[in-house]
Amino acid sequence: MKKYIIILLLFTVNATINAQHVDSCSYELKGVILDVDTKEPLPYVSLNVKGTQHSLLTDINGVFHIDKLCNKSNTLVISCLGYCDTTCQHFYEHSQKPFIYLKKEVSDLEGVTITAERRRKEEEGTASISQQSINKEVLFVNPTQSLAAAMSEIEGVTFTSNGNNVQLPVIHGLYGNRVLILNNGIKHGFQNWGTDHAPEINVSTANRVTVVKGAAGVRYGPEALGGAIIVASDPLYLNEPFKLAIGTGYQTNGRGYFVNSEISQGLKKWSYHLGANYTRIGDRNAPDYSLTNSGKAEKSINGGLRYHLDNFDFKVYYSYLNQNLALLSSSIGNSGTAIVRAINSTEPVVIDEFSYGINEPNQLVQHHFGKIEMDWRYADDAKLTFKLGGQLNKREEYDVRRNADLPIIDLNLFTTDYQLEWKHPDWFQLDGLIGLQVFTQNNDNNPGTGTTPFIPNYNTFRNSVFVIESLKRNKGTFEVGLRLDYEYNNVRGRETNQDVFRDKYSFINLTSSLGYIRHFSENYTFRTNLATAWRTPNMAELYSFGQQNFKTSFGLLRYYTNEESELRTDRVVGLRESDISPEKGYKWINEWKVHKKSNTYVLTAYANYIENFTFSRPLAVIGTIRGPMPVFIYDQADALFTGMDFSWQIEWSSSIDGTLGISYLWSKNLKKNEPIINQPPITMSYQLGWKVPLFWKVKSSQISLKPSYTFRQFQAPRTIRPEELIDGSVVITPASEIFDFKDAPTGYFLFDAAWRLKLNRLDVNFSIQNVFNTGYRNYLNEMRYFANEPGINFLFTINYFFNFKTN
Amino acid sequence: MKVLDYFKKITLYSLLVAGILITGCKDDDPPEPENELEVITDVKLVFTNDADATDVVEVSAQDPDGEGVRELVILDEINLDVDKSYTLTFEIFNNLESPGEDIGDEIAEEDDEHQLFFSFSNDAFTDPDGDGNIDNASDPLNYNDRDGNGNPLGLSTSWTTASSTLSGGSFTARLQHQPDIKTSTSGATDGDTDFDLQFVLNIQ
Repeated sequence: MKKYIIILLLFTVNATINAQHVDSCSYELKGVILDVDTKEPLPYVSLNVKGTQHSLLTDINGVFHIDKLCNKSNTLVISCLGYCDTTCQHFYEHSQKPFIYLKKEVSDLEGVTITAERRRKEEEGTASISQQSINKEVLFVNPTQSLAAAMSEIEGVTFTSNGNNVQLPVIHGLYGNRVLILNNGIKHGFQNWGTDHAPEINVSTANRVTVVKGAAGVRYGPEALGGAIIVASDPLYLNEPFKLAIGTGYQTNGRGYFVNSEISQGLKKWSYHLGANYTRIGDRNAPDYSLTNSGKAEKSINGGLRYHLDNFDFKVYYSYLNQNLALLSSSIGNSGTAIVRAINSTEPVVIDEFSYGINEPNQLVQHHFGKIEMDWRYADDAKLTFKLGGQLNKREEYDVRRNADLPIIDLNLFTTDYQLEWKHPDWFQLDGLIGLQVFTQNNDNNPGTGTTPFIPNYNTFRNSVFVIESLKRNKGTFEVGLRLDYEYNNVRGRETNQDVFRDKYSFINLTSSLGYIRHFSENYTFRTNLATAWRTPNMAELYSFGQQNFKTSFGLLRYYTNEESELRTDRVVGLRESDISPEKGYKWINEWKVHKKSNTYVLTAYANYIENFTFSRPLAVIGTIRGPMPVFIYDQADALFTGMDFSWQIEWSSSIDGTLGISYLWSKNLKKNEPIINQPPITMSYQLGWKVPLFWKVKSSQISLKPSYTFRQFQAPRTIRPEELIDGSVVITPASEIFDFKDAPTGYFLFDAAWRLKLNRLDVNFSIQNVFNTGYRNYLNEMRYFANEPGINFLFTINYFFNFKTN
Repeated sequence: MKVLDYFKKITLYSLLVAGILITGCKDDDPPEPENELEVITDVKLVFTNDADATDVVEVSAQDPDGEGVRELVILDEINLDVDKSYTLTFEIFNNLESPGEDIGDEIAEEDDEHQLFFSFSNDAFTDPDGDGNIDNASDPLNYNDRDGNGNPLGLSTSWTTASSTLSGGSFTARLQHQPDIKTSTSGATDGDTDFDLQFVLNIQ
């Protein structure tokens, strides 16, 4: 039962040492290993310098000393025997940093820095699923970007958007509520339907974000069908000096500016964290025109408090986010003629002067998030955790219409979570987690919109129990998970004539997961996971009725075929009398990770089969009082998604490294043997990092260049132009093959560059996005029908860290 | 399936506990009824002979389920007499609600945000002549009403038919919603369309 933690150490040596011998085996390394939380030294930790015979244990004071090292750069393997097994687990759950903290008490090697953490930190209970994280270090460089855009740095992850402000993460072709977003251990409770509602989470408040690429439904519940995104906030370490960080910046595109500030302190038993952010961006610019009405205003605050008492740990966390997001003016077309005009125009139909103003269409969202967490570590290898979460999401959407001053959508969504988890003591070598979860959601329409509610009022209750066990056998680890969910929904809505409709329905579902991890050697790891997942169609998929943005759509329960085989939408079908079933997914994901000298290869291959996959498809063009309108319905089919992500990192030299990334996805609607709309195209990128020689007071300086190419989506559905439907030259029926109104955009090459400098307590970043000011359209942006993506952007960010020593 | 039953039971108990903890869960109310302001189901064009108020030609278009999938129906053809002057007015309703909601009133109130545009078979009328102002907003049209800014509205317009007969011609009325867009030069493609209806026009 060894746990390995591998930390790569890089250090510089005083010139005096170099002068000593011809053979350069004169480097030495001294340090103290401390508990990252309590700062207590850790005795008897075994250390080994990779590729050498050097190995030893730390002494009673946690001190180690390794001499006669031949290389400047060493990889230190720290293995915790006995004592550390549980301690590591402790760090593993609490901390985001390396689990072991090296105190830099080195006399002749003053530059000891931990530069890379080789050990994956898996999210508990999902170890056999391919996953990747992005840390605060990277996140705070560009706090104006969305959570989804930040995540798209990871291979296999991209985002679908509705303009520049509303962006949803896409994992292996799936998005919306097929990707679960876990904020601080609690499912983010928001209006997660359609493509125009993004999770209300400010990336700059996150300490770390992890993407789990496989079906993680056993651990996190339904909706983790395509994967999960896990946002962790400040870890609230104890015994940390008072810290104050202030960051600000400016971006040229949209003339955006932001201010972030953070304070934190860890005492012996208490620690706290407080943060606040403000961001304002005006209309963005495409290379040839202004994207009128594309700005945003956002403010957020967050705070956490921790109390540590021997075996108990209490945490309280609260955050508030307030957003006002503009949607492109040119995207509105409420008549067939207007849509034809907007789609066929090479430029947006509305182009005005730059403005910070946010007009209709826009979205005003407020999100309150509160959490209480209690850990009881009652034995060395056992723990009980209780979490209680409450969230209130208030959303108002405004549209260009006769009553533009009234919101067209006005919803309050209240979500609560109760989670009890027991990490049980080792039992016949089984290491496991057993949990109970109760989840409730209450959605209410606020009166006064002057239109029939698009989404009904509803209450959802879900009760779940899960078990995840892992068993280690030599170099392999098996992971097995089972989960049972019971979900009950109570729905109350209005028909367009204001008659009330009601429905009540429930589902019971079993989810399972089977995984295996094999460490063939220190440098070669294979992991595989086969998991099932499920989710009920969301309220928009079931009940949407009428126009939202430029689409008129009808939910699964809003249409039926009458005795004359005509489609009718004049009544709501009860779920039990319909043939609608929950989606069921089966995802198999494999990851090979090979580390060879200065090369690291990671290959992820997956196949995801989804039964009753719910999607929106064009139905017909129907005459309305406003002229002919394209109409969409939600439908279900069986679909297959398969593909791979590949990354290859090379350390060309001690100062230059490069990472090649490729993502490929193939998908098909098997029932109708036709393509699936809005799937990510193939992407390729190369990120080159160069550690620039230091000068003046600069402590670190890195230039990174990132060329990337996005291919045209060759699997896009056929194109039928809206005017062909309106003039009747093409006739479509519900049985027709899927189509789109515009060809998938051509492939495009983008180039980004950044220079990051650290001067003592100052961290400065200067980056240029879309260096060549390329005009392009993104297939996954609904605005691709109307306008280009933003052009060149210069972003300047500066962060200052005040550090107050307490003695 | 005893296990499942047992599980259901546990769920019900825990719901009970949850229900005590959260007050928000108890409500079982549907959304409040809304006064639907967006939907138009019936538009009637009323041509009144200026010389004889009892000589009225009415034509209707109806979209019986509003935003639903049923097709729009143009119920009548416009049959006018040669060489006569008519005033055209509108009745615009949402009849999904009972009683129906008069959307025409709302348009009259927001006259600075709305304008009606027309197109018709070339030279069907002597006044206005031409083919209407949908293709070109500055083409002649006889508006009888103006908004507060002195720009035309079009809920009332004047028409004099030609002396030659016409059979199977066309007449289109389009209501544009132009919030902050309507000016003396704005046209039929500015803003959004509230209705866009094409009728058959016969002049005997």
